[in-house]
Amino acid sequence: MRIVIVGNGVAGMEAALTVRRREPTWEVTLISEESDHFFSRTALMWVFSGQMSHRDIEPLERDAYERLGFRRVRARATGIDTVGRQVSLAGGAEPVPYDRLLIAAGSRPRPGPWPGSDARGVGHFVTLQDLDWYEREVHGGASRGGAPPRADAHVRATADDSPYRFREVAAERHGRLARQPSVIGGGLVGIEAVEVAVAAGLRPYFFIREEWFWPIALDPRESRWISDQMGQHGVEVHLEHEIEALETDSGGNVSGVRTNQGRYPSDCVVIAIGVMPNTGWLAGSAIELDERGGIAVDEELQTSAPGVFAAGDCASVRWFDGTRRPEQLWYTARDQGRVAGLRLLGDTPRYDRGTWYNSAKLMDIEYTTAGLVNWNLEREQNWYFEEQGRVRSTTRVVVQDGHVVGFNMLGRRWDHTVLIRWIEERRSLDWVLGHLNEAAFDTELVPPLRVTRA
Amino acid sequence: MDQQGQNGLLSTYREGWRNRSAAGIVVSALLILFYVVLYWEHKVQQHFGIAPLTAISEAAGLRNRWYLYGFLYSLAIIGGAVYYLRRHGNSRYNRFRITVNVAIQVALGFSLPFIMPLFGGQEVYFSYFWPLKYDYLYPQTLADLPLYFALYTVVGSLLAAPVLAVLYGKRWYCSWVCGCGGLANTFGDPWRHLTSKSTKSWRFEQASIHLVLFVAISTTFLIGLDWLIGEDHPAFHRIVAGDHWQYWSIKSFYVLAVGAVLAGVVGVGLYPLFGPRVWCRNFCPMAAILGWVQKVGRYRIKVKPGMCISCGNCSTYCEMGIDVRSYAQADQSFTRASCVGCGMCAHMCPRGVLKLENTWERAEDKERQRLSVVDF
Ligand SMILES: Cc1cc2nc3c(=O)[nH]c(=O)nc-3n(C[C@H](O)[C@H](O)[C@H](O)COP(=O)(O)OP(=O)(O)OC[C@H]3O[C@@H](n4cnc5c(N)ncnc54)[C@H](O)[C@@H]3O)c2cc1C
Ligand code: SF4
Ligand code: SF4
Repeated sequence: MRIVIVGNGVAGMEAALTVRRREPTWEVTLISEESDHFFSRTALMWVFSGQMSHRDIEPLERDAYERLGFRRVRARATGIDTVGRQVSLAGGAEPVPYDRLLIAAGSRPRPGPWPGSDARGVGHFVTLQDLDWYEREVHGGASRGGAPPRADAHVRATADDSPYRFREVAAERHGRLARQPSVIGGGLVGIEAVEVAVAAGLRPYFFIREEWFWPIALDPRESRWISDQMGQHGVEVHLEHEIEALETDSGGNVSGVRTNQGRYPSDCVVIAIGVMPNTGWLAGSAIELDERGGIAVDEELQTSAPGVFAAGDCASVRWFDGTRRPEQLWYTARDQGRVAGLRLLGDTPRYDRGTWYNSAKLMDIEYTTAGLVNWNLEREQNWYFEEQGRVRSTTRVVVQDGHVVGFNMLGRRWDHTVLIRWIEERRSLDWVLGHLNEAAFDTELVPPLRVTRA
Repeated sequence: MDQQGQNGLLSTYREGWRNRSAAGIVVSALLILFYVVLYWEHKVQQHFGIAPLTAISEAAGLRNRWYLYGFLYSLAIIGGAVYYLRRHGNSRYNRFRITVNVAIQVALGFSLPFIMPLFGGQEVYFSYFWPLKYDYLYPQTLADLPLYFALYTVVGSLLAAPVLAVLYGKRWYCSWVCGCGGLANTFGDPWRHLTSKSTKSWRFEQASIHLVLFVAISTTFLIGLDWLIGEDHPAFHRIVAGDHWQYWSIKSFYVLAVGAVLAGVVGVGLYPLFGPRVWCRNFCPMAAILGWVQKVGRYRIKVKPGMCISCGNCSTYCEMGIDVRSYAQADQSFTRASCVGCGMCAHMCPRGVLKLENTWERAEDKERQRLSVVDF
């Protein structure tokens, strides 16, 4: 049996491991344009700051491919022949035939729609090559942990529209490192791009279109705390700014950001306005995409073509609310990868997204959420508590029709599995507040949260 | 304000001296040189006509070079504690632990042993136990020690240390009390990311630490036997405990190979190249015993299921070379024998996935314990 997987991200690698666990002899091929090794995309920011090396963000040892008998193809896939059952590659390389295929091609950064978005000195913070660009703008290159192996092996065969192409570096033209970076887009990738610039000793501008930072997850009170924290670290947070253009100098280097509120000189701009399914290369293949560009799959992650499955950021799956769209999260990519692995083995498991949860770290503030928060449910009520002692934290519990449906917690650590259980058990607010510390996951010696009820 | 996680971002890999650059190699060479002179000062004197450390000690009013060593050791721990706390002191666990490390070193590791002889007492170290302090269970030593301390060391080594490890894990000793651990966690902190996480290094550790443990126990046993029968069997006495063959009895071999080379020259000298726990991880017989005990005791690292993003901060900053991520991403709470409970994995984790705890409810993680980083 020939298994081919496009993408060695978490979805692709989890699927490959799932196959290998049961079938030691099947031929498993992983195609990746971006990297030789599976790495944790969530950890790019720490490589940038120097907190970790490239090797450190690789979850498997570097001999994993050899030890597990995976064939590595470092190339750009350009299409799928679903009748002849093969994947074509760029640069005239031999197509790769498959019996069963998994597409786990992830996301690509959404390009800036403004004039100047392609200027030198403008980039993203999503792929290894983006990291390489941003590091060279701000730090002048990789840390002593080194660059990833064979970082440029695929350059010859890549295309201009590939998210894995290398970018030109404005700092190298200027002959000096970036001094005034700007980050556009108030989401998680945006705040990470801001935080790493702060850690490099810079005071970045952070342009956000909305009224407050990250409104899909935070309410204004929570968000203000995060913005204050950013301000204390020297970030200029510019809310309600609509970008009009990225200005350039005569040499084609970015020189500033123009918004509806003014002009801001800037020599390095990170556009972080979201990601979209990395499926442009499938145009012309008989694989059905939805209107967002996500690969349409059924509950068992099967695409419109026989023997072809999709998982991770590129797949439009069914959400708990019945809609179909991609889930751009590490955990869901991992879970889908496991289900897809079973599909490749011939099983018929279903992918079931349980209750929503997520966590993040916003500058130094830890964030945990579970359930329906900021969904503007009918008749919802929000119970909110701010702790201002040795520990600073906020607790928000969303209640609908007498039972708890969501939690939004900042500043402390919580076991989301307990919170989810309470949501599923339809507990009342009173009951939850009485038991809250059973869900605490604080480190030892941290005094427990004491809520005072108004 | 108290926080639990890493404050700001670290620039670990952007600092040359912390990454095996020329500066790192120089620091390592200087440390090794220091230990060589410390242990073999008589040879230095033979060849060069001076005993530098003894000279400095006398000039400073410290009775001999071992007090100078104790003094420098304390300084290194204090300096390292400042370095560490500036980075990680925002968490209470870290603050408490490092404060206790410093206090124990200054009080029990230096001041008390220095002061006791002034009042006609014997110099004793309350913070070290057998088998780390190998001679504290030799009957010959016990007979010479004040009775209260002989009792303290026997009860401490054979009963209190393991019982506490059952209740709280080996961390009570390795990360809070022990001087070697104290130095590793403070002075050694800049290099903690250098401890290897490879499966190979794990295999090496398992073999080497148990070999040293075996040698330590046999040496203690033979020396005890020598106390009983040595007088009647001079040949046996000479092989086991003969002092006149400077380093070539079993006892003097242990003192040289384990006490000086592995614990000092290699253990501390290689901090800047292989991380701060070379000795604790690979050689310390006390760590080997407490590690076994820890496996059957209450201590574990609890993993919050489904929340790990496989970033690797935990593994990178584990000074014992444990690939914490391999457990975290598999949703497996775990207890590894080598874990010294420094808490840094939980501290560095940006998603709050890990929690050190003492609990008997560990049935679910008893079965795991794989020997490879990927569980095949
Ligand atoms: C900076 C950043 C921080 C993040 N932090 C978090 C977080 O904290 N928590 C969280 O839940 N999620 C986070 N995410 C999202 C998370 O990383 C993704 O959801 C996850 O990595 C998706 O995994 P995947 O396997 O679907 O795709 P990817 O990891 O994107 O892998 C895509 C793979 O496909 C290959 N590929 C694509 N196209 C081609 C082609 N044409 N030819 C050959 N190979 C191809 C690439 O080489 C790559 O190997 C973050 C994302 C970013 C960018
Ligand atoms: S596993 Fe965690 S607590 Fe144990 S030694 Fe490693 S970093 Fe310290
Ligand atoms: S446990 Fe935490 S630090 Fe370790 S890999 Fe997972 S998310 Fe990262």
